[in-house]
Amino acid sequence: MEKTIPQKARQKTKAILEVRDLNVAFKTARGKAKILEGVNFELFPKEILALVGETGSGKSVTAKSILNLFGNYPGQIQGQVWFDTQDLLTLKDAQLESIRGNRISMVFQNPQSSINPLFTLGEQISRLIRLYLVPEIKMARQENNLTEKQAVIHIARQKLNEVGLTDIDRLLKSYAGEISGGMAQRYRIALALLSSPEILIADEATSALDVTVQAHILKLMKALCQKKQTAILFITHDLGIAAQICDRVAVMYAGRIVEVAKTKSLFENPLHPYTRGLLKAVPKFGKKEDLSFVPGMIPDLVHPPKGCRFHTRCSQAMTICRREKPRRVAAESRHDVSCFLYELEK
Amino acid sequence: MNESLMTLSKVNTWFANEKTITGKPVSWIKAVNDVTLNIYKGESLGLVGESGCGKSTLGRTILRLVPLHSGGIRFMGDDIASLYGKKLRPFRSKMQMVFQDPKASLNPKMNIFKILSEALYLNTVLGKKDFLEQGVKLLNLVDLRPEHIFRYPHEFSGGQQQRISIARALATDPDFIVFDEATSALDVSVQAQVINLIHELRRQLKLTYLFISHDLSIMAHACDRVAVMYAGQIVEVQKAQSLFSAPRHPYTRALKDAVPVADPSSKKGLSILKGEVAKLSDLPSGCYFHPRCEFKQDICSKEPPDVYKTGKRSWVRCHFQEALWEQRELMDTKESA
Amino acid sequence: MELQAESYEQMAKQVVKEHRQVKWFLLGQLLKRKAAMLSLIILVLTVTAALFAPWVAPYPDQGMGAVNISQRLSPPSNEHLLGTDIYGRDMLSRVICGARISIFGGMFIVVTAAFIGVPLGLWAGYNEGKSGAVIIKVVELFLSFPATLIAMAITILFGAGWSTALIALVIPWWPWYTRLVQGEVLSIKQMLYVEAARMLGYGKIYIIFRHLLPNVITPVIVMILLDLGPAIIAIGLLSFLGLGTQPPMADWGLMVWEGAQNILSEWWIAIVPGCAMFIVVTAFNIFGDALKDILTPGRSSG
Repeated sequence: MEKTIPQKARQKTKAILEVRDLNVAFKTARGKAKILEGVNFELFPKEILALVGETGSGKSVTAKSILNLFGNYPGQIQGQVWFDTQDLLTLKDAQLESIRGNRISMVFQNPQSSINPLFTLGEQISRLIRLYLVPEIKMARQENNLTEKQAVIHIARQKLNEVGLTDIDRLLKSYAGEISGGMAQRYRIALALLSSPEILIADEATSALDVTVQAHILKLMKALCQKKQTAILFITHDLGIAAQICDRVAVMYAGRIVEVAKTKSLFENPLHPYTRGLLKAVPKFGKKEDLSFVPGMIPDLVHPPKGCRFHTRCSQAMTICRREKPRRVAAESRHDVSCFLYELEK
Repeated sequence: MNESLMTLSKVNTWFANEKTITGKPVSWIKAVNDVTLNIYKGESLGLVGESGCGKSTLGRTILRLVPLHSGGIRFMGDDIASLYGKKLRPFRSKMQMVFQDPKASLNPKMNIFKILSEALYLNTVLGKKDFLEQGVKLLNLVDLRPEHIFRYPHEFSGGQQQRISIARALATDPDFIVFDEATSALDVSVQAQVINLIHELRRQLKLTYLFISHDLSIMAHACDRVAVMYAGQIVEVQKAQSLFSAPRHPYTRALKDAVPVADPSSKKGLSILKGEVAKLSDLPSGCYFHPRCEFKQDICSKEPPDVYKTGKRSWVRCHFQEALWEQRELMDTKESA
Repeated sequence: MELQAESYEQMAKQVVKEHRQVKWFLLGQLLKRKAAMLSLIILVLTVTAALFAPWVAPYPDQGMGAVNISQRLSPPSNEHLLGTDIYGRDMLSRVICGARISIFGGMFIVVTAAFIGVPLGLWAGYNEGKSGAVIIKVVELFLSFPATLIAMAITILFGAGWSTALIALVIPWWPWYTRLVQGEVLSIKQMLYVEAARMLGYGKIYIIFRHLLPNVITPVIVMILLDLGPAIIAIGLLSFLGLGTQPPMADWGLMVWEGAQNILSEWWIAIVPGCAMFIVVTAFNIFGDALKDILTPGRSSG
């Protein structure tokens, strides 16, 4: 288990979000599943951090625990999530409400189902504009001599234009079911960024979209977040996205972060055996050779392997890997890895 | 490799969009338009396109799972386009399909033995008592263990479920298999395992297959030749490798450039194709791609382009393919300079 | 294959054992819920009592309707635990004997309705053609009137009596099963395994029995359990209105009606069968709900 970084050191890092020693367990029919074990990472202002992992690696659970979105699900969350000077995990629901959607926004995989189907898109965005953009409404009223309602529509139009939506008049009158997936995701992003949040959590936000639409949305998110100085936690299974738009990448395996590094460093010099295997499995353009893959399957998290959770599939496993959990070590500058291959070197 | 296994000529699959009271269609959803295609024996052909371009419908049309509007389909010389219902049964065992969602393609109330038996009934060589042995053989073939045979689908992971689907498709000893987004729901490392398995099976069993996917980057690994589909039409057919080095059709190029490459040093970034996918119920005039094409000329919106042969088994459907090709080469030399 | 037939059998046994463990686990989950457990006990007791009424009831002949004028309208006492009615019949015996028509009648209605409704639902769901459309139209017609109203009309037409009442209740009851099953089938039909079977060349009948039926059985069973309560009440209602069971036979609804006239002075005559009906109906509901919770997939996996 990694040591908790003491309070003083924490303030020095300047990270806007720090996840410390996050452990999540769920009750299942077969026993307690240890979904997350000692997850540590930090998100710096204005950066895009990719949280990459395969199904069941716990990447979405990590995102959900940050804002405690589990509802009444029978589980346990331990650890700390520092945002500003608050530990989000200790906050009450009412306090979290003021952060969710305001200072930390989320965009999910399935855009259509995350828009309320009972109200028009115009009604929904107007409500949020009235909530978050009071000074802008005032300004718009003074400048253009508008009524409040007109001012709100005026701002809505601007914001939707920003995310590349066209034919906005028709759009404002439509319902979630009447627009395409790409449009819905753009609209969601416009909503998420209305309050100029400090953090945007994108949980597989483009996975359900076609590549050409995905390319649009990715560029858009990157540009808008740079403009608004929003940091993005980009949760994805697609290493291509991580390579193309993210500054840093954290690789997750079976509930632990195995490697964190600058994007370039990670792709050019992957250190953890799992990261290496994963990168080799990615299909490459125009190459004919057989794909290599990581043999075996993701372990059962009710009875996870002892020691390093990857040792059952690792070709370089040593005896110590079966007994002890590896610690996170800085193998190179700003390139951390949890693996005994590097820990022993030090 | 020279004999054609499946020949499609001017295939159209249209669904009625609106009907009059008497059931006469007023307007159509034109999911597959004028597809002429040969699939050769022993070949692996890829079919790539965005969602809603009709690629799955084309796969189902070939297997005669959806009604055909017009056109001809010949399978090993036999005309199967005019057959319906029971008359198709003799051909069913020769052509199989593996679907995208592994969980939904296996009946949760049946164990693996029952699932495989269902397909083995069609395999006329086998008696009922051989089913267990044959079932175990099939599981071995897809790298599953024999003791899995009495288990139920929910006891397997997604990758394993997809292997079971493949085993079921192989049970009838088919000549032709359609993989409909068969690896899209899987994680990359599992996808790699399944694709390698498909390769191995192809070598062992001399299969011909059509590999449908939205993922262009997987194509070179899975296929010899690739057909690119847009708005129900095949716009380009090329050898898989040259499709990436030298895409002929503007759409192919746009599709290729939109894929995020897992290599941060690649400078091309993500290029963007403007506009929305053409609606199958309301197709544009002329070339279906012209509203989104950056090279469009007057003729593109007026006349549908012809097919230009670009190689032995490759062609492109574009008015300006030669001009574009030259321009492309110019751009490439500039980039490398 | 080197594997011998015996090892297959062993494999099969091992797997069957594991699956049995899962079933026991689910049953354990059911029994862990105290309310469900209590309901189950109540249901087993009442059903057994009703089944063996002639032996369980203290005065079986009175339960079946024999008059005992000397003891009329006596309140609950040692001799008559729940008192006697206007003809001096032992209420406890009456309730136990009345349970036969109420509970078994309810079961008859619901099970018969399921037997008629499920096949029609399978057919209507799988065939969206003309035959399916006709079935759905008929179902909608029935569902647009209250079930008891239809049953009342039928009993009035064909004459009152418990057997007529039961059949009269089956007639408006089966469409609910057709609609449930048709809805389920419409979604199961989209499943790729159905398409896979079609691709193998299998016909309608095979697909309906092999793929659709096994996947709709669970919701049907849950609905049968949840419907038993309303069915018991419906029989009671018909009897209460004089359209169902005729005296001197008894069912709970009829007994409530008999007691209702003197509710202020001889309260037990109406209250006892009323309570019996309330308890049994509630028990069926709680048990059905618990079963539904446990059988609904996606709950156990985390």
